[in-house]
Amino acid sequence: MTATIEELEPTRPPARALALRPSVREALWGLVFIGPWVVGLLLFTAGPMIASLVMSLTDFNLVRPEATRFVGLDNYARLVSDPTIAQSLIATFKFALLAIPLTMAASLGFALLLNHPKLAFKGPLRALVYMPVMIPLVASTLVWLGFLNTETGWLNAMLGSLGLPQPDWINSETWVYPALSLIGLWGIGNFMLINIAGLQSVPTELYEAARMDGAGAWTQFRRITIPLMSPVLLYNLVIILIGTFQYFTQAFVITNGRGDPNNATLFMNLVLYREGFIFNHMGYASAIAWLLFVVVLVLTLLLFGFARRRVYYAGGER
Amino acid sequence: MHGTRSGPRVLLALTATIAILTAACGATASPAPSSASPSTVAASQAATPDPTPLVTAAPIDTSVPGPNGGVVVRWFVGLGAGGQPQQIATQTQFVTDYNNSQKDVYISLEIYDNKVAANILKTQIAASNAPDIIGPVGVEGLNLFIDQVADLQPHIDSTGYDMSKYPEAMRNFFKIGKGGATIGVPFGTYPSFLWYNKKLFDEAKLPYPPTKVGDQYQGKPWDVAAVREIGMKLTVDKNGNDATNASFDAANIVQWGFDSQWADNSPTAETALFGASSFLAADGKTAEIPDALRTGIKWFNDGVWKDHFIPTQNQVNSDLLAKGNPFSSGNLAMVEIHTWYSCCVNPAPPAKPIVGDAIGWAVAPAYNGKTTAKLHADTFSMLKTTKHADAAFKVLSALAASGPLATIYGAMPADETQQQPFIDSVNKAYPGAKLDWSVPTQMLANPDIPNHQAWVPDYAKSKAAWQAFGVGYRTNQSADIDKDLDTLKTTLQGIFDAAPDKNP
Repeated sequence: MTATIEELEPTRPPARALALRPSVREALWGLVFIGPWVVGLLLFTAGPMIASLVMSLTDFNLVRPEATRFVGLDNYARLVSDPTIAQSLIATFKFALLAIPLTMAASLGFALLLNHPKLAFKGPLRALVYMPVMIPLVASTLVWLGFLNTETGWLNAMLGSLGLPQPDWINSETWVYPALSLIGLWGIGNFMLINIAGLQSVPTELYEAARMDGAGAWTQFRRITIPLMSPVLLYNLVIILIGTFQYFTQAFVITNGRGDPNNATLFMNLVLYREGFIFNHMGYASAIAWLLFVVVLVLTLLLFGFARRRVYYAGGER
Repeated sequence: MHGTRSGPRVLLALTATIAILTAACGATASPAPSSASPSTVAASQAATPDPTPLVTAAPIDTSVPGPNGGVVVRWFVGLGAGGQPQQIATQTQFVTDYNNSQKDVYISLEIYDNKVAANILKTQIAASNAPDIIGPVGVEGLNLFIDQVADLQPHIDSTGYDMSKYPEAMRNFFKIGKGGATIGVPFGTYPSFLWYNKKLFDEAKLPYPPTKVGDQYQGKPWDVAAVREIGMKLTVDKNGNDATNASFDAANIVQWGFDSQWADNSPTAETALFGASSFLAADGKTAEIPDALRTGIKWFNDGVWKDHFIPTQNQVNSDLLAKGNPFSSGNLAMVEIHTWYSCCVNPAPPAKPIVGDAIGWAVAPAYNGKTTAKLHADTFSMLKTTKHADAAFKVLSALAASGPLATIYGAMPADETQQQPFIDSVNKAYPGAKLDWSVPTQMLANPDIPNHQAWVPDYAKSKAAWQAFGVGYRTNQSADIDKDLDTLKTTLQGIFDAAPDKNP
C-alpha cells in the first residue's frame, strides 16, 4: 500500500496570509520596482551633488590636488564679485527670453499644423519635422555655421537677393541670439510630438459642442485646446527652461568655447565647463553649478506656483 | 481633509521637482528622458568625454615587477600626437622591442584619444594614480601640468645624457619649468616658415620669396614690409583687381595675400615675426604688452581692415578659404605655419587636391633686420610623483632617442642625424614640389625665445583672455586697437594676481 502525499508531508502549522492591507502591499511593490532607480539616483546623482557641494567649499584644482584647502564660502563670495558670472547670467536670461517662447510657439504651431484633420501625408511630414533631432548637434551646428556665414552663407545670399540687410549672424552681439534660436528650432521635434499627443487627448466632443454653440477656430483654440493642453504645455515649458539654462553645445561649437562675440554667448553652463574642465578650478566650478541649480530651481518653483492657478487637470489632480 | 493632505503633497511635489531638476542637471549620470532638450543630451556628451582609451593596456600593478621582471614604468600617450593607427602600431612595436631587449624595466603603454587625454590625466593625478612618463607633449601641454612635471636636470647630469647632439637653440629649449627647471629633453621639432602657393605667384608674375636668411627680395630686404607689399598684390577681388588698385572692391575679395594660419588666435604666436614676446614680464608677476607684440598686432590689424591682404575671421571660416584651412583652398598666397602642416595642405583621397605640389617654402620675413620663426617642439616628460625616477628617465631617454617615433609623429627630429627619414616622408607626399630643406633648418636656428607658448600664471585662463582679444580684432574692426591691448593687459594682470600657480 502506498502512502498519499498528504500522509508523507510533515505536519505544518496552517499558513497564515500576511496581514497587509492592499494599499500597503501595493506601496511595497512600488518600492521594489522603483528601488533600482532610487539606488541610481543616490549613487550617481545625489552622491556627485553632495560631492560638488563639499568641493564648492574648497579651492580644489584638478592638477594641483595636493594643495587643496578649505575656503569656506569664498567661492560663493567670488560669484558675486566675478563680472563673468553677471555677464553669463544676463546672456543666459537674454537668450532664454527669446528662445523659450519661440520654441514653445513653434512646437505648438507645428503640432497644430501636423495634427490638422485635413492635412495629407501627416506621417511623412511629422517625420520630416522630427528628423533634425536625430542629427548630432555638433554636426548640425557646423552646417548652420556654413549656412549663416556672412561671406558664403546661403541665408545672407537669399537676403541679399531680396535687397534685405545681411547681418553678421554669429559675430554680432545683437544677432547671435536670433541665430542660436534659429539653430535651436531644429530641435523642436520632441516637443512637437508631445504636443501632438496632447492635442489628440482632447475629447473631440468638446469641439463639436463648441461648434454647435457657434465658437470659431480661435475661440476653440483659446477656450478648449489651451486649457486642456495646459499640463502638456507646462511639462514642455519646464523641460525647455531647464534645457535653455543648460545650453552648451551650440554655443561651444560656434565659438570654440570662448563665448564670442564679447562674451555674448558665454552662457552659465559654458562658464561652468570652462572653469572646471579647462581652467581646472573645480571648487569654483562647483559653486557655479550650485548657483545654476538654485536659479533653475527657483524658476521651476515659480512655474509650479503659476501652474496651481492656470493648469487644468481633468481628474482634479495637480 | 485638506489640512492633513497638503503636507505630503507639497513634499511630494518638492521631491518630484528636485528629482526632475537633478535628473536634468545631472544628465551625465542618468539617461536623459526622451523628451529632454537635445541640447541637454549633447551638452552632457560634450562635457563628459568618453574615457575609453584607444589602446586599452591591461592594468598593471606598478608596485610589482612587470612580465619581463623589470620595474613597471607607465607611459601616457595622447596629449599631442600618438593616436593615429600607424602611430599606435609604431609605439606598440617600440614598447614590445624595449621590453624584450632587457629585464630592468617594463614599459606599460597607455594611449588615449587626444580630445580626452588631458582630462584623463587630470583625473589620474587627482586620484593619485598618475603615470610616470607623459608625451609626446608640446610646450602648451606642459604648461597645463607645470606643477606636476619633474626637473630632469639632475638625471641629465647624473647619467651623462648627451645634449651635444642637438642644435644649440634646442639644448636649453625645455628649461621652461618653474624656477628654470628642465622639464623635457629635445626630441621633435616643428619650425615655422613661409609656405607659398607657386601658382598664385606665377599668375601675379611675382618672383618667389627667398630661401636664405638675409637674402633680398626684388632688391629690397625680405621683411614684413615686403610681405605687406606683395600680399596686397596677391589679394584679388571678384573683378580681378588687386588690393593696390584704386578700383579694388574690399567687400568682394576672392583671394588673399597672407595669414598666420592655425596660430590659435594667440597674439604672441601671430606676432612672433616681429620678435619673441610674452605677456609675462621678467619678474614673473607683471602683465605686459611688449613693443614687438603691439607693433605686430597693429600690422595685422591694418592688414585685415585697411590693406585687406589678411582675411577676417568670417572670411577664414568661409567656403572661399576652405572653412578654416585657408592655404589648402588655393585662395591664399602665403601662410606662416609649422612643418606639421605637411599633413594638411591637400585633403585625403579621394578628395581632389587644390594646391597639390604647387607649394614652396621660404624663410620667415625679418623685422628690423632680425628673423624670428616661432617654434613648436615635442618632448617626453616625467611626473614628480613617479616612484621609479631612474627607471623612468631610462625609458624617457630611449623614447627621445627614437628616430622612428619622431618621424611617425610628423616631427623633424631634434637630432640632425635622424632627420633623413622625416625629410623623405614629406618629399614623398609632395613629389613635384622640390622643397628646400635648408629653410626649416635655418628657421630652427632662429627660434622665438621666450617661446610664444611660454608659461604664464593660470595659463588656461590667461589663454582664454588673449584668444578673446585675438578673435575680437579679426572679427570686428576695432575703434582703438591700442586701448584694446591695454584692456587685455589689465585683464591678464587680474588673472595673474588671482592665479593659484604663481611663479616661486
